[in-house]
Amino acid sequence: MVLDKLGSALKSGIKKISNAIFVDKKLIDGIIKDIQKSLIEADVNIELVFALSQKIKKLAYDETIKGIDKKEQLVKLIHDEITLLLGKEKQLKLPKKASLMFLGLYGAGKTTTIAKLGFYYAKRGRKVALLGLDTQRPAAMDQLEQLAKQTNLQAFIDKKEKDPLKIIKQYSKDLEKYDLVLIDTAGRDGLNKELIKEIEKLDKRLKPDYRILVMPADVGQTAKTQAEEFQKALSIDGVIVTRMDGTSKGGGALTACAETKAPVFFIGVGEQIHEIETFNPESFIQRLLGMGDLQALLEHVKSATDEKQTKRIEERLQEGKFTLLDLYSQLEQMNKMGSMDKLIGMIPGMSAAKVPKNVLAKQESKMKHWKNAISSMTEDEIENPEILEKQTSRIQRVSKGSGTTTTEIRELLKQYKMLKEMMGMQSGLAEGKIDQKMMQKMAKKFRGKVKF
Amino acid sequence: MFGALKEKLKKWITKNKEGDLDIKGHDEKKVDKSPKKQLSKKKKVKKSKVLEKQKDELEQSLEETINTPSEEKGFFIKFKKRLTEEKFEELFEELEIILLQNNVAYESVESIKKSLAEKLIGKNLKEVDLAEELKNAIESILINPPDFIKTIKDSLEIKSPFVIVFAGINGSGKTTTIAKVANYLQKNKLSVSLAAADTFRAASIEQIQQHADNLKIHLTKKDYGSDPASVGFDAITHAKKNKIDVVLIDTAGRMQNKDTLMKEIEKIVRITKPDMKIFLGESITGNDATEQAKAFNESTDITGIILSKSDIDEKGGTAISVSQATGKPILFLGTGQKYEDLEVFDKKKMIEKLGL
Ligand SMILES: Nc1nc2c(ncn2[C@@H]2O[C@H](COP(=O)(O)OP(=O)(O)OP(=O)(O)O)[C@@H](O)[C@H]2O)c(=O)[nH]1
Ligand SMILES: Nc1nc2c(ncn2[C@@H]2O[C@H](COP(=O)(O)OP(=O)(O)OP(=O)(O)O)[C@@H](O)[C@H]2O)c(=O)[nH]1
Ligand SMILES: [Mg+2]
Ligand SMILES: [Mg+2]
Repeated sequence: MVLDKLGSALKSGIKKISNAIFVDKKLIDGIIKDIQKSLIEADVNIELVFALSQKIKKLAYDETIKGIDKKEQLVKLIHDEITLLLGKEKQLKLPKKASLMFLGLYGAGKTTTIAKLGFYYAKRGRKVALLGLDTQRPAAMDQLEQLAKQTNLQAFIDKKEKDPLKIIKQYSKDLEKYDLVLIDTAGRDGLNKELIKEIEKLDKRLKPDYRILVMPADVGQTAKTQAEEFQKALSIDGVIVTRMDGTSKGGGALTACAETKAPVFFIGVGEQIHEIETFNPESFIQRLLGMGDLQALLEHVKSATDEKQTKRIEERLQEGKFTLLDLYSQLEQMNKMGSMDKLIGMIPGMSAAKVPKNVLAKQESKMKHWKNAISSMTEDEIENPEILEKQTSRIQRVSKGSGTTTTEIRELLKQYKMLKEMMGMQSGLAEGKIDQKMMQKMAKKFRGKVKF
Repeated sequence: MFGALKEKLKKWITKNKEGDLDIKGHDEKKVDKSPKKQLSKKKKVKKSKVLEKQKDELEQSLEETINTPSEEKGFFIKFKKRLTEEKFEELFEELEIILLQNNVAYESVESIKKSLAEKLIGKNLKEVDLAEELKNAIESILINPPDFIKTIKDSLEIKSPFVIVFAGINGSGKTTTIAKVANYLQKNKLSVSLAAADTFRAASIEQIQQHADNLKIHLTKKDYGSDPASVGFDAITHAKKNKIDVVLIDTAGRMQNKDTLMKEIEKIVRITKPDMKIFLGESITGNDATEQAKAFNESTDITGIILSKSDIDEKGGTAISVSQATGKPILFLGTGQKYEDLEVFDKKKMIEKLGL
């Protein structure tokens, strides 16, 4: 499928945002890099790519938006921006009588597409004529003639005449009898002034109802320039992207066209006459993101975020307080959630696979001991556990009072320090000093030291 | 064709010279076209001096940018004269954008980045010459083609005819380029005939017939739908009988991901045993150029590449992409629709055009 790499980058980006405890600078930068890479590989215009990155950054770094709100807004932004890149869906709604002039780069697929469309509309009851005005390419007229024969359409061609205007004149009466006239023109470079002048002349003479730009899917960064130039000269009414059956991602062609505001009406998906499809950007995006619509995406974000937990830690830290009781409630909550695995799993890049199975049971008994230890502490000790470390006599006292070993108490203190350090980074997050990478490092350290 | 890339690279170097490393500022769309002339006026001797000067200033600016934003001066200062990985990333980011804007495939940009990183990270800044290193990196990707005419003439001493198969995706310019190559061979006193082995596309045979007529050369053809390999085979038989030096086989366009069509080109190659297999790409193709070139190289072990439509393209990065993807030389560039619009690919000229 086209743009599949982009799809997986977007999916993984959204997943990362959903699953992350904190949306910090490094996380966002990483996601942006991934999305950038896939957009670039899909030939999306570089300026567009960086404009999108800036938008994501701006929202992500906005300190006034926090927690789940930020996650939701980020996912929505990415979804909406990608949709915007591809443009709005618009069906080609032809009036009773219509003429379409096709133009575009050399070998883009104009002549073939004309036959495909002629076939498409003839099946839908239109009386279709093909008009050949490519007097440049050797055997262009034969090509149109043969294609018309294959599709049972009427082709108006002249193999000798070199002036397209004369061909128009020659057939203008005949063409009146048809309700759909598809006009083939020679391939041209949008930057070539002479050729642009020529197509302008044809345009003036023919006054087609639609000017259709044909663009191959694999065209690179030049797509934008070309689309712009053709748009400037003629005001393009719609686009058909060909060769969508290859491995190219179509990003250059699709987005360049979105920028000219001309909708992509059809895509060509093969050499055969019937290989043409209408294009729907929304369903395209849905396939890209692999999960329904925006609503489904947002649900996913919500379900992946333990909002309450994150909020509480945030609040405690904002008050500048994080006590042993907080630690305890954190650990207890983790237990409820199904052990450390879950917390570890929530940190990007960490895997819970290495946590042994009997950990849960051990942890539970340990939690009991810690609870006893904490209840033997003074309020001062609970609020500022640091004083316990400074005065070993306090540890001994708590040990005796609670029936726990000093080793266990020291372990509890270690856990506290670790978690505080880890959570304390939250305050640094806003300033962008602390990033997800450090978090991961901390988490590793944290996990390593937890000996249940 | 490399005008725009050259311009951007120049700008990059100058910008770094000024110590302005802000990435946001790439809104210089208009620069694409205008100052091209201005630059080509500069003489070579002058250019190297300019680069020398830029090098010095760039070094200075590197030190400046590395030294200034820091608060903890003093102790760290002596370490900062070396290019750190971080700084390299930052510097390369903009170069990366320039290359990508100029249609170099992402994969190739990564490869250039890697080779530059290996060379530059940890190096004393005084020794870092980015323009030179970039030139080296691109130089090692582009390959000088062997002398086309000489290759053919040498081979003709041993066996005849010399057979060339052209393959590529739909509409890339195979048929037109074959006519150009035929014309070029004739100009070099070699006799040529053509094989209409595209028996599929509407009017493909009429198209190549017109070229054959224009150039007054023989075309071997069969009915539409007949086996393309057999058309190629017959053309070779005809050439042997008539002592024709070179047979050019036109094949139908095919997307590189269509197995049956790729098998078909493999069969054509198997039957006709060509002395040369040419992949025909378009210089306007984006990242897919890499995929296309790789696929055709894998299935037919191409001898070389021709990039058509380089007259359209104001970027030029595709040349780097396809070379990097295949390790095969670009033989010619197509520069228009006329028979003479065929340019022998010249690596040196290309690098000069890059302004490196
Ligand atoms: N695989 C594939 N091939 C296509 C598609 N559309 C067109 N083609 C092929 O692309 C090649 C060029 O198509 P043409 O219709 O001749 O292109 P054109 O724009 O009329 O070319 P010029 O008139 O020379 O500018 C032919 O081999 C077509 O069969 C498509 O959607 N997929
Ligand atoms: N401007 C320009 N046009 C070119 C060049 N090479 C080919 N073309 C044009 O590109 C279009 C397609 O060229 P063809 O030679 O028919 O391409 P092909 O690869 O044989 O196409 P299929 O057989 O349909 O796959 C024609 O209009 C050619 O005139 C070039 O170097 N510059
Ligand atoms: Mg055509
Ligand atoms: Mg052809």
